[in-house]
Amino acid sequence: MTPEEKYELFERKISNEISIEEDRLLSQIIEDDQTIAKEFKTYKEWNSYLSSNLGLDTEKAEVANNLKDISDSFFTKETQKTKSKVIKMPSWGYAVAASVLVLLGVYTFTKSTTPVYSDFVSIPELSISERADANEIGKKAEEAFNSNNYKEAEVFLNQLLEEDKSNSEYLFYYGISLVELDEFEKASEVFTTLQNGTSIYKYRAIWFEALNQLKQKNTDKCKVLLELIPKEAEDYQTAQELLEEL
Amino acid sequence: MGNNKVHADQKYIEALLKNDTLVLKEIYEKFAPKVVGYIKKNSGDESKARDIIQETLMTIYAQAKEKKLELACPFDAYFFLLCKRKWLNELKKNNKQKVTINEEIVSIGDESEQYANETMIFEARNELFSEIFEQLGKACKELLKATFTIKSMEDVASKLGKSYGYVRKKKSLCIGQLTKMVQSSPKYNQIKNLL
Repeated sequence: MTPEEKYELFERKISNEISIEEDRLLSQIIEDDQTIAKEFKTYKEWNSYLSSNLGLDTEKAEVANNLKDISDSFFTKETQKTKSKVIKMPSWGYAVAASVLVLLGVYTFTKSTTPVYSDFVSIPELSISERADANEIGKKAEEAFNSNNYKEAEVFLNQLLEEDKSNSEYLFYYGISLVELDEFEKASEVFTTLQNGTSIYKYRAIWFEALNQLKQKNTDKCKVLLELIPKEAEDYQTAQELLEEL
Repeated sequence: MGNNKVHADQKYIEALLKNDTLVLKEIYEKFAPKVVGYIKKNSGDESKARDIIQETLMTIYAQAKEKKLELACPFDAYFFLLCKRKWLNELKKNNKQKVTINEEIVSIGDESEQYANETMIFEARNELFSEIFEQLGKACKELLKATFTIKSMEDVASKLGKSYGYVRKKKSLCIGQLTKMVQSSPKYNQIKNLL
């Protein structure tokens, strides 16, 4: 048997296209010849390797991207935790905080009871520059966003998205910038994309889209979105509070 | 190992396969801090730990996808062991042997060790196979890429304007070539009996 014939026989066997006669022949040579037996084992190993590594590229990339998002958000949270541990409030700080609370209480009590966007929005910090692959635009986007300069942040995030269209982190912060700039429709588009994806921003995007609707005083739309936020989402509690007030 | 009872922590393997964000987040929350602590204590920093964790999870994913990994041990010990070894390999690669390894006393069952070994072998095999695939001629590479991404050999044949029999024969010859190449590699002889 030539090597060509041998490999074709291997191929027929693993793709289930082998005749009974050929199958018998193959079993026989594998039994008689240890070298061919080993070769067949390696051939099968290659077939298995190739079908997982050539055929599943997109799937693999999706998992890798998702893990990267989760990792980014996990490590940012950890860093913030350690940072906040260091900050100690001086004792007079409590007095100030208490007076502010009293004032806030009086203020909330006297103003109208309809909830508004600014009561509920809490904008997370963008953190790109600590990463190894951060570039100049990333740093500028972070600086602009964290200093509430959403006009510039929008421009830089847009540039980042041009290079990395499906980056859910950039999309999410881009969406927030748009809400802050009252570009409501564009923001809705961004949040819908995130809502339909599988990234860690999926539920946060629903919350921010609800806030986007609240800012436009579309109470009904806002309510529908709030109800979509599941219990395990980090904005669930606040979403419930807003829902009650609406 | 297939006969062993599957551990409840198999849910983490399933989460990787299903790309289930909530459970994957749980993996980070529960298991990452220990790995970060270990790497920081042993000449690394948080960013290195991030990479090691991501790479380890991707290896586990690849193994689960291809070899139907079923854990009969807790994920914690298995995952920590894998990250730890990966990190030690990384240190060795960069010639930083002078560092002192601050071993933590971790009780690791034989089973976790066995699973971690299997995953390490799987990873070594993947690295070797990918290296060898790169050495293959262009025509073979393209044919294999087409047959394994398109799945239906009939479609590949019609796309290439060849007959089904011709494509199958070519495919078998290309895999035959890879088989020969890998068999002559000394590295393969070290890992093949463990596969």
